[in-house]
Amino acid sequence: MADASQTRKDVDLGFCSELLSPSELFAARSRSHKIPVRGQKDFIPDGSKQQQERLERSLEEQWTLLSEERVERLGNLVKAVWIPKEGVVELQSPAGKFWQTMGFSENGKQFLLPEEALYLMECGNVQVFYHELPLSIQEGYERFLSRDTLSLQQYQVFGHLKRLGYVVTRFDPSSRIPSQYEQQLNLPQVSDRPGRRLKRKRSLSPASSQTDGQEGQVGEKMEVEQCQMEDQKPDSTPEPVCTHSRVEEEEKKEEEEVEGPAVRDPAEMETTADCRSWWVEKKADPELRSMPCSGPRWDFHSIPFPDLGCRGRPPSLAPPDPALLPGLLSVGRCDVAPWLRELNKRKEHLSHRERERLRDRARYRRDVNEDREVRRCRNWADYRQLLEKRSQCRHRDRPAHLWEGKVTPLVQPGQYTSYGDLMNRTGVIQPLNLLEAVSRLGQGSEEFNIRYNVYQPDTVADYKKTSPGKPYSRMCVCSFDSPVPDLRTLKLLACQSGDVPVTFAVVDHGDISFYSFKSFQLPTDLPH
Amino acid sequence: MRLCGLAVLPWNKHIFVMAADGPEKTGEEGAGGAGSSTGGGVRFELEKETELRFEVEAGERVQLELLSGLAEVFGSELNRNKKYTFGPGSKIAVFTWQGCTVSLTGKTEVAYVSRDTPMLLYLNTHAALEQMRQQAERDNERGPRVMVVGPTDVGKSTVCRLLLSYAVRLGRRPTLVELDVGQSGVSVPGTVSALCIERPADVEEGFSVQAPLVYHFGSTTPGTNIKLYNKLTSCLAEVFSQRCEVNRRASVGGCIINTCGWVKGSGYQALVHCASAFEVDVVLVLDQERLYNELKRDLPHFVRVVLLPKSGGVVERSKACRRDTRDEKIREYFYGFRGASFYPHAFDVRFSDVRIYKIGAPSIPDSCLPLGMSQDDTQLKLVPVTPGRDLTHHVLSVSCAEDEGTGPEGGAGRRGILESPVCGFIVVTSVDTQAQVMTVLSPAPRPLPRHTLLIMDIRFIDLK
Repeated sequence: MADASQTRKDVDLGFCSELLSPSELFAARSRSHKIPVRGQKDFIPDGSKQQQERLERSLEEQWTLLSEERVERLGNLVKAVWIPKEGVVELQSPAGKFWQTMGFSENGKQFLLPEEALYLMECGNVQVFYHELPLSIQEGYERFLSRDTLSLQQYQVFGHLKRLGYVVTRFDPSSRIPSQYEQQLNLPQVSDRPGRRLKRKRSLSPASSQTDGQEGQVGEKMEVEQCQMEDQKPDSTPEPVCTHSRVEEEEKKEEEEVEGPAVRDPAEMETTADCRSWWVEKKADPELRSMPCSGPRWDFHSIPFPDLGCRGRPPSLAPPDPALLPGLLSVGRCDVAPWLRELNKRKEHLSHRERERLRDRARYRRDVNEDREVRRCRNWADYRQLLEKRSQCRHRDRPAHLWEGKVTPLVQPGQYTSYGDLMNRTGVIQPLNLLEAVSRLGQGSEEFNIRYNVYQPDTVADYKKTSPGKPYSRMCVCSFDSPVPDLRTLKLLACQSGDVPVTFAVVDHGDISFYSFKSFQLPTDLPH
Repeated sequence: MRLCGLAVLPWNKHIFVMAADGPEKTGEEGAGGAGSSTGGGVRFELEKETELRFEVEAGERVQLELLSGLAEVFGSELNRNKKYTFGPGSKIAVFTWQGCTVSLTGKTEVAYVSRDTPMLLYLNTHAALEQMRQQAERDNERGPRVMVVGPTDVGKSTVCRLLLSYAVRLGRRPTLVELDVGQSGVSVPGTVSALCIERPADVEEGFSVQAPLVYHFGSTTPGTNIKLYNKLTSCLAEVFSQRCEVNRRASVGGCIINTCGWVKGSGYQALVHCASAFEVDVVLVLDQERLYNELKRDLPHFVRVVLLPKSGGVVERSKACRRDTRDEKIREYFYGFRGASFYPHAFDVRFSDVRIYKIGAPSIPDSCLPLGMSQDDTQLKLVPVTPGRDLTHHVLSVSCAEDEGTGPEGGAGRRGILESPVCGFIVVTSVDTQAQVMTVLSPAPRPLPRHTLLIMDIRFIDLK
């Protein structure tokens, strides 16, 4: 058991690490460690008592499992400190066995990446402190998983693979893409620069790459906060922000930015952590974020139009300011209510077909303003840009060679003499190699990038962090809601990965399935 | 309900309805009783915020005189002791905010005082728009762009005129955009136009038409060529935006867009297109709740859609009545207001000197189109017209497009013609196919300023 001084220190630290009596310890030891079995899913509630009982039982099991206290040996717990600025966890006491496959050292200190720290916390190997207080596992989730470090899905994939025994390391996208010639020669990659590689690992997260530019980081975070505040606003009440206040806001922001980092550092950490950024699986849309958050130009709440159609309008309008009226007229209040009966005086003659079309439109056409993106538009320019973007998206799905240009027969008579040539010509989809002709594809998409290198469990024994060798696979994490990657993305990823296969880990609310794309050759029926 | 059959005379119906209302009855009678015959005219005592509505009998003229107090006709103030003459078929409402006495001389088809007018609502609308202009002035932004929509005969043009007059009385310089091709208030029918308003409308003549920007449409309903209609709307919007960039006062004044009464199907789509092209800030929907709800659904949230009632005094016009107004408008173009001020010229034009086009080829069923062609192309196509006897009485627009190198096959030239404004109109009075000449009625002596002519569906027979 832990020695005396250690015990005292832990007691000082307080509530979290309480010591157990022998009987309690024994009880904890002899508890069953089985995870409840996830059986067949019942998809439709049949209303039977049996089903309901089954449901309640498994819920119960889940709850007891979750609420169970974790009992760990103090001596086994490695102490570490969370450094939010850099998005890493620094070890305070000597690392355990996990050091063989996880963590990295820099300037003589040992660090863990957030996903590693969180996984080890869950396994009961590491206790992480922040502001001198130990973090619970839930707090670990909240603090370690953020837009700047990694998403919940990425962590779920990491944890899943780790539990299965794989060695998982972050993939470094800055590693050089081997040229085709090198690929043909099958030269070993990057292994000649091990030290740098490990350091470079961290530069993956956007925030940590900015650590030297403090102010920039704070500014960006504040912008994020602002946007989130904007998000939380109820959509139905457009904020009465006129251009003045926007300027003021910006000035304020600038002021804060100047005195920002030193003064409000801890407080700021609190607020960002409270946002639970891992929870709202937000794919940071740079375009939306960069948009200044302000309402439309006219604030129609303070410009009173006598609108008869608006429900919940005041029954009468206050007399307008005589300065607004010609000839300095002064008029009394304007009573709106009696005019409600004076609407639709001009009868509309609709044919049967028009009536039907109207009914259909009322039923199927959605209010354009139900769309969040439309609600974000502040003026016509924004709105038209949005519509343009959407129509382009719609057209992009059409292959150009089928929709653009003149329509002509594919083959002219007498053009080809052999079946092979003819088949080549009429084959609308050309065969291609995933690794060929990538250079002209440009930048990859935001959604798909390789996240992890995965090494097989049986290689753990002779795995070395300094020379990891060729991974078994590279992992790309995506959500079940995201689209299937297109050919361009596939080619870019394949090119980045080189001769290591790329696997897609698709996360569906915690269930992870793995997919990969393989090239194949279509059989040719005719001799060329 | 027998009176409902008299659709031509809705004012009768109005009175009938009013009389049926208990409390209103006394008001109407009292107001009617105020009309007493003195000397040559009938005197009307108007209480504050009431309106005298009258219609001039066919072939008659009516003189209106303000004896005391203050009154206005569609936003333009009346001068005291000045006689205003209104021609046959005029439908006038004299409104007073403070109370006044007026006299009418001549035969009116109907004349009555009504206290049921939505003027206070319209005035509040104006106040809101003026508030927007003040904000625009303060923030160095552009002023409100307002679109007035509604079915036919709900008083769209009147509301436009009212709002423009009020704005200009406060020293603003708003722009009237006239998209009603059937009953244009600015130019001849069959055109869309924009007019910068610098003084309130004349009580008799309406807005002074100086240097309007006019585009040729060619027909009295947008439905004949909706593609062209939308294109011209975009053209006008572009020119207006350019003007706003260089002229600060025009920018702050904003614009008021008068639209067609066609609010179903493609007509409705044209309204949505117009809102987007002009980037309107406010849409005033008159009378029709269905239209209001649809626009609320289809326009983005930063556009304020406002439902207003129509005035009870608005008269439903018959087809013949609309045709007469159109004819009158063309006659006014050539002969001036009441045919008294201008003297048009008649001269011969050789066929070889001009090129006549029609916009829009006849539409072909989709199944007959060549593969890959769509109907859009035909609607904006310029089709050369061979001059012939059937050209007689047609109104032709003289396009501002440059003449050089605009052969019928010149691709760039053709685009130019569609998008260039019109510098004037002529009417073909007779065609001599033997001599290859046509005689035209023109507002200016020969020669024609340009030689590209666009033919309208509209005909004008110079009878008077």
